[in-house]
Amino acid sequence: MSDARFDTTVTTTCGYCGVGCRLEAHARGGRIAAISPALDGPANLGHTCVKGRFAHQFTRSRDRLTAPLIKENGEFRVATWEEAIDRVARELLRIKAEHGPNAIAGLASSRATNEDCFVMSRLMRAAIGTNNIDNCSRVCHSPTSYALRKAFGLSGATGSFADIDRADAAILIGANPTAAHPVAGARIKQAALRGMQLVVIDPRRIELADYGVLHLAPRPGTNAAVMLGLAHVVQRDGLIDRAFIETRTEGFEAASALIEDYTPADVERISGVPAADIERAAHIYAEAGEACLIWGLGVTEHKYGSEVVQLICNLALMTGKVGRPGSALLPLRGQNNVQGSSDMGALPDTYSDYRPVSDEATARAFEEAWGVPLSREKGHTIPQMFDAAVAGDLKAMYIFGEDPAQTDPNTSHVIEALESLEFLVCQDIFETETTKHADVILPAAAFLEKQGTFTNAERRVQLVMPAIDPPGGAKTDFEILTTVSKALGHDMGYETPEDVLAEIAKLTPSFAGITYERLGRTGLQWPVAEDGTDSPILYRERFELPGGKARFATLPYRPPGSEPSEEFPLILVTGRRLEHYNAGTMTRRTANLELLPSEVLEIHPDDAERLWISDGDLVSVRSPYGRIEVEARVTDRIEPGNVFTAFHFPEVRTNLLIGPSADVNTSCPEYKVMAVDVRPVAEAPARRPALAAGD
Amino acid sequence: MTSVTINGRTVEVEPGTTILDAARAIGEWIPTLCFDERQDPFGACRVCMVGVEGAPAPLPACTTQVRDGMVVDTRDATARRVAGAVVELVLSELPEPPASHTELAAVARQLGVSGTRWPGTVHERDHDDRHPYLALRHELCISCGRCVRACDEVQGTFALTATGRGFDANVAAGLDQGFKDSACVSCGACADTCPTGAIAELSLLDLAPEPLHEVTT
Repeated sequence: MSDARFDTTVTTTCGYCGVGCRLEAHARGGRIAAISPALDGPANLGHTCVKGRFAHQFTRSRDRLTAPLIKENGEFRVATWEEAIDRVARELLRIKAEHGPNAIAGLASSRATNEDCFVMSRLMRAAIGTNNIDNCSRVCHSPTSYALRKAFGLSGATGSFADIDRADAAILIGANPTAAHPVAGARIKQAALRGMQLVVIDPRRIELADYGVLHLAPRPGTNAAVMLGLAHVVQRDGLIDRAFIETRTEGFEAASALIEDYTPADVERISGVPAADIERAAHIYAEAGEACLIWGLGVTEHKYGSEVVQLICNLALMTGKVGRPGSALLPLRGQNNVQGSSDMGALPDTYSDYRPVSDEATARAFEEAWGVPLSREKGHTIPQMFDAAVAGDLKAMYIFGEDPAQTDPNTSHVIEALESLEFLVCQDIFETETTKHADVILPAAAFLEKQGTFTNAERRVQLVMPAIDPPGGAKTDFEILTTVSKALGHDMGYETPEDVLAEIAKLTPSFAGITYERLGRTGLQWPVAEDGTDSPILYRERFELPGGKARFATLPYRPPGSEPSEEFPLILVTGRRLEHYNAGTMTRRTANLELLPSEVLEIHPDDAERLWISDGDLVSVRSPYGRIEVEARVTDRIEPGNVFTAFHFPEVRTNLLIGPSADVNTSCPEYKVMAVDVRPVAEAPARRPALAAGD
Repeated sequence: MTSVTINGRTVEVEPGTTILDAARAIGEWIPTLCFDERQDPFGACRVCMVGVEGAPAPLPACTTQVRDGMVVDTRDATARRVAGAVVELVLSELPEPPASHTELAAVARQLGVSGTRWPGTVHERDHDDRHPYLALRHELCISCGRCVRACDEVQGTFALTATGRGFDANVAAGLDQGFKDSACVSCGACADTCPTGAIAELSLLDLAPEPLHEVTT
């Protein structure tokens, strides 16, 4: 469509959430003038949201980093690229020589392209010589990846968003898609309006609960009990698919025996969900012809998050609802490329396609391609990196497109870690809480300014194309990382991001058939065979595990890492808001800030009245790890005993409250359950209605 | 499969396909105004009229399903005259011609409608710029219903309402309190589908080039 108002229009992929909307980015005078949805985008079908469509002015914000900065005597000064790269290379080589390669760690970003993540992992593995590389999927969906690989074999959704349109029922667990994945949320809502039986499991009455047939509000941290209860009813009432279990799965007997113990009455006692609702939800799911299981961080960001995902997989296996149209397991991946950053091997224990660093054949293939010896030893995960920094074992970090000082839990520990480092390089588009602690800051490009591919929540690899240039002296991540690598003595030999994709395809079986030409306008869902055939639905015939069979998990309910006490009587759940995105670095620099200018703490009217808190009061929230102040919002969308807030605003540093408790298998932090104490701030203005109510 | 002949070309389509979809599939152009492929066909504007052999009068292509052996003429003179008159009537309500990038301007150009022969009352200017991204220009609303249906069928927020009757028919965000204070989630689907710029992106209003044609009244 040519439109005289714009100089150019480029079709690209949204850089906000993991839905992967295809967008038309219209530019005029070197700036983004508007963004509209691509009508043929398979994930968005001509739709997009307040972030994807409108939140693009950040690209030309005055705050953009446009020149490298070097810290001297505690102050940043502008530097040339040559000077900055030289400083980075010299410091990293010095630390490597003095302390060995494992004293250095890198963070890739789930916001960056597949190519950037692949290049970043090569930088750490080949140029530095360590497997200390991780990415922010560690703190969101690593439990999903772990569990899906254990249960089915591959780390990705079993189907596609299109399966929602074909499902007769769906269970949505621990996700608030109308806020965090708005286009997927709209799709689920439309399906529910057409008659799909939607069951929502979430401690809050989220918007989609109003459109569903049933809302289960378990106590935070008791998802496992609810999933076991659903499985119990399915088994007790003869709703299992025996033929499927016999021919396509292993381990049912043990799981079945354990499930016996979780009667709806027991589950009600643990989770607070009425037994009758457990029964009804189980029947809705199991009796539907086709049904989807959709989940988000409300499942994963728990002490036993990876186990709950395995229990979700159990439910699908018991009923045979996997591997066919309309019956999909769809984890809603948080960031635009959470799927891809991990697929690409920006992880301490795996190369691309989740092949272990200890696997001799894989390591050899990469050694041959990169021309250097590679370590077979696992590297550090993000939390381990920070622990090692505090312990003095880790001396340098290269953090790219990530703001752990705002987004990671236990903020004071993270800051101590960053301060303990001898050398910190940050590569970002803005100064952040994290860059404050950097020695060198390298100015990078935003998603509208660069080329590559993102992989969305349905494993769809889609092209990203630049609509505008990076501002000032900022450069693309591809250019920066390859230049740094060369300065470290390892010339990667790529000229364009397309060269990187070609190497990824060569070294990664599930990317074998991927080329720019084949990706075209609508992308391809991995695994992509050499002839270009892609995979909208996995496991139609066999699971990707030895013997081709899926594995049941035998896992009991175990209580969360934090429970209410006399000192900390309420449970804080953290999450997201529609108008903002993650650390808010981008959305807070757009007019989205006018739509949602500040953060609130949601609290139930009963708790508010007891604590003499009125809507709009400033309250103090204290956990064993920290304290924040935030405005109260009294709402009955939250259960008594729970409070909720998000972490988009640095002025409310929510993650100060979160402790070190993490998923037992993947170290994904327990962001969703923290016992807190909430009380009015003394200096707050007089509280009107609550005074009367308290009398 | 159902066989249908459009402008002399015979094609096989799935039963239930509309004339509009069948025509578009073979690259035959039919003008539309209230149609958006993301929404269910509405059949309100009467701009997509086509001639169908044996039918006493032109039929709307967007809501008429093909029947086996149907013979369609998208260039039927009566149908085109009806479509042109509809567009002319629509234009007669507007205080100024639509901006050249809008779908209404494009349809008018394609139908050769360069103005309106019917002078008379036009909508009064009524602007609402309270939302940071979405601008309402009530005078440009032609009541095609696309924004309301986008909000309902694509987004599912039900924040827009068709208001008024006859000449006063228009659109309101919520109970007319504006986008920001309504249930609106600022997805912009309404601005995306609006064929006249009655709902537009605020930042693009400065970029709207001059109208392409003059209105003769």
